[in-house]
Amino acid sequence: MHIPDGYLSPVTCAVLYAAAAPFWAIALRRVKRLLNTKLVPLLSLFAAFSFVIMMFNIPLPGGTTGHAVGVGIATIVLGPWGSMLAISVALLIQALFFGDGGITAFGANCFNMAIVGSLVANAVYRTIGRGAAITSTRRVVAASLAGYAAINAAAFCASIEFGIQPLLFHDASGAPLYAPYPLSIAVPAMMIGHLTFAGLAELITAGGVVAYLQRSDSSLLKLTAPDAPDENSIEKSGWRVTRPLWIGLAALMILTPLGLLAAGTAWGEWSAEDFNDPAGREQIANASRNQSPPDAPPEGLVRLSSVWTAPIPDYAPPFMNSAEFGYIMSAMFGTGLIIAVFLLGGWIAGLINRGSKNAPPETGNN
Amino acid sequence: MNPVSNHKLKSTPTRKKRRGSFIERTLSTLIRKTERALFAEELARKEGFLQKLDPRVKIIGLLALILDATLARNFFTIIFIFAIAVLLAIVSHVPLRTLAVRTWLSVLTFTGTIALPVIFITPGDALFRLPLLGWTITAQGVTSALYLLLRVETTVTLSLLLVLCTLWTHVLKGLRVLGVPVVFVVILGMTYRYIFVMLETARNMFEARQSRLIGSLDARESRRIAAASIGVLLTKSFYLNTEVFMAMQSRGFRGEVYTLDDFMMRGRDWLALAAFLLLALAGFWFGRQDSLQSFVNLHF
Amino acid sequence: MSDIIFDVQNVTFRYDELTALDDLSLSIKQNQRIAVLGANGSGKSTFLRLLDGLYFPDKGTVSAFDEPLTEESFQNEEYAFRFRRRVALVFQNPDVQLFNPTVFDEVAFGPLQLRWEKDEIRRRVTETLETLEIAHLKDRSPHRLSGGEKKRVALASVLILDPQVLLMDEPTAALDPKSRGQVVDFLINWGGTAKTVITATHDLDIIEDIADFCFVFQNGRVAGFGTPAQILNDQNLLESTNLIHAHRHAHANGKIHSHSHRHRFHDHDHDHE
Repeated sequence: MHIPDGYLSPVTCAVLYAAAAPFWAIALRRVKRLLNTKLVPLLSLFAAFSFVIMMFNIPLPGGTTGHAVGVGIATIVLGPWGSMLAISVALLIQALFFGDGGITAFGANCFNMAIVGSLVANAVYRTIGRGAAITSTRRVVAASLAGYAAINAAAFCASIEFGIQPLLFHDASGAPLYAPYPLSIAVPAMMIGHLTFAGLAELITAGGVVAYLQRSDSSLLKLTAPDAPDENSIEKSGWRVTRPLWIGLAALMILTPLGLLAAGTAWGEWSAEDFNDPAGREQIANASRNQSPPDAPPEGLVRLSSVWTAPIPDYAPPFMNSAEFGYIMSAMFGTGLIIAVFLLGGWIAGLINRGSKNAPPETGNN
Repeated sequence: MNPVSNHKLKSTPTRKKRRGSFIERTLSTLIRKTERALFAEELARKEGFLQKLDPRVKIIGLLALILDATLARNFFTIIFIFAIAVLLAIVSHVPLRTLAVRTWLSVLTFTGTIALPVIFITPGDALFRLPLLGWTITAQGVTSALYLLLRVETTVTLSLLLVLCTLWTHVLKGLRVLGVPVVFVVILGMTYRYIFVMLETARNMFEARQSRLIGSLDARESRRIAAASIGVLLTKSFYLNTEVFMAMQSRGFRGEVYTLDDFMMRGRDWLALAAFLLLALAGFWFGRQDSLQSFVNLHF
Repeated sequence: MSDIIFDVQNVTFRYDELTALDDLSLSIKQNQRIAVLGANGSGKSTFLRLLDGLYFPDKGTVSAFDEPLTEESFQNEEYAFRFRRRVALVFQNPDVQLFNPTVFDEVAFGPLQLRWEKDEIRRRVTETLETLEIAHLKDRSPHRLSGGEKKRVALASVLILDPQVLLMDEPTAALDPKSRGQVVDFLINWGGTAKTVITATHDLDIIEDIADFCFVFQNGRVAGFGTPAQILNDQNLLESTNLIHAHRHAHANGKIHSHSHRHRFHDHDHDHE
């Protein structure tokens, strides 16, 4: 998930730096207002925590292990803004002091994992966990799904970034200069990997740590859920009222990536001939891990792209009229829409609350 | 999905068999990370060309070359920058073996795997048709795969040079002098410092687990232990956070941080800066032309 | 200025549910060397933090240098700087106190926050490092130091301010015998008779060296006080406050023998994870 230098064009990198900048600024302002003078040690320690978490090998089903980013658990404990900053700092340390992950791609990595990841995790955790007692199983479910959704959203953003490279950046002969796979391959390849496998590491981490904290130190979970009812006062009805909501959301979450998957194959830039030519289709199928491509360019794609190209007058610069431009715009529109929805959810759900009182000095020694 | 971190710096006695438990694997990752930092520190204290340069010059110079390598639209420029990187490594006493194993080979296997299918699926002029399978290798496909590989090799080498030839404390001060807000620089420094405290805590935790472990863990138990370890670290970071904050307050910290920045640009530094910028400019200029064009220019 | 530098009156301090200090009253005179004794959780660390203006009482009052020590008084930068310069706290865990990239930066941190002149800071840092014989460590990072070195750097980082009052939290915990000896030597010699040193400890072996007067804490209250000799001879007090415990072990002749026991050169690392 850490994009190294060389996979993304400098223009893409610059755009993603620019996209990340306002989030950093807002996050810094919010966290600073909330924490006042405590900002420096808090961010440092949680960035260090995030960094070390990224080293952990999380046991996955089937006897293998995978790495988690820790964005789910960071968001649950610190809130989306604190998590955004802590993970960004951890990524910067990786790039600057350990030579891992790109320097030019730092903005992209932060955008995907720290920013989109935190916002999505927050929205999911808030929505599913709303009103649940701190020690309820529902919080564990909410946390697991938050981690899973966050990392998949991040992977999706990365796959879009990869996928638009060959469209936009190629040399005179048509050879892609950076990440070479079109959206039709990049999106399914990344998403299949994350939906089935890499996402589980994040799911297990977020859910498992919340379950652990419920038993050992539930005060840490109260920071982002100050209004959570006590264990005893929780009524059954609270669960019943919100249940359809969160079941619906879970279903949506599971279906959305599937939908994106299907759409992903459609978002490619293979020409109509490629779709009709059996050899070409075979190649696409091989490349997209035996996902056989549709027989014809999907209609939805044509319609979507024309949404964007139609209003553009003929005298506009030629690139704006091209099909590629339409695809990119729709891809960006789709991503933006998802983020906007999650953002809105997060906004409504409210913001992180103040920290709890200090811990006694003798209790948490070494 | 990190091409560099998946490969170790040098083989260590702690390395366990390929498919150890997650505890063994995590332990070896943690140990490797610590060792790398120590190795970098050792190298950064050597008397090499890059080591002796002012950190600001190094940061600006190497970043400019990284940018060049990502901007370049032809092989010659990328290879040229790669050659500069190798040269810098040699004059800075960075063992080429380390670079070859830790960087070049690992990028080759990781990015190479990603790049391989590209030579078949990129539409373009057919070069060769594989017998039996009937897949066609296209010129554009090969070009594209080479771009990716060369670019990643070059940029990873350059960023590793920065890491290996600069004390991390100098990178910090360099950033400060280059105008990065002091609060970020302080946060970066504290993060790096506490990464080692956390790495050690994690390492002790896993070593204790490992020594108590009889037989193998079932999957459920493994996951529980992994989550509990992260939970312990999280609790620890909260504890350290309140304590460190008080230790800072006790010495007069009131939210704003002040630091000492003392760097002196010497003649050699200015010269190196000029050389870096000249190289970067040249790289930028030649990098603008497409591969085919420069190919044509060279031959006719 | 009166003789009394810290006056604690009826102070109660609570962590969320736990009462750490319970209606505590005591006062400390200038240039005294005080040991605050107590088992873990007796409230002695909390007490030091209260004196350092890091915690503020839930009930009761604390005053320092004849001025009330309150959260509001620290809003005033001039007051805060004056107090921070006068009173220094060395934390038990050196990892929390050493948060800077290098030893040099660490020692310079305090004066920098108090806005000293930068050249003056450089000069004083070098001096302080030499006094504590750690000049050779100046470019090291804290994670590359041994336990004893960390303790000395932590001391250097507060002594550069030349405080009047030094608060030490468990200064000998988790140190090897040699480093422990060095810390005790330092406490014996520092400042002659012109400084106030308040040491929280449960290491009974050092109190005769480092203190003229002791308070024994239990459950956030003063359970006893007196000179080190008086305290060390009061077996009942030491046993009831868990500073010593009846120690039973079998002898070669098969008889089980029981006697009170105090820890000598035990490096307890109180790890509760």
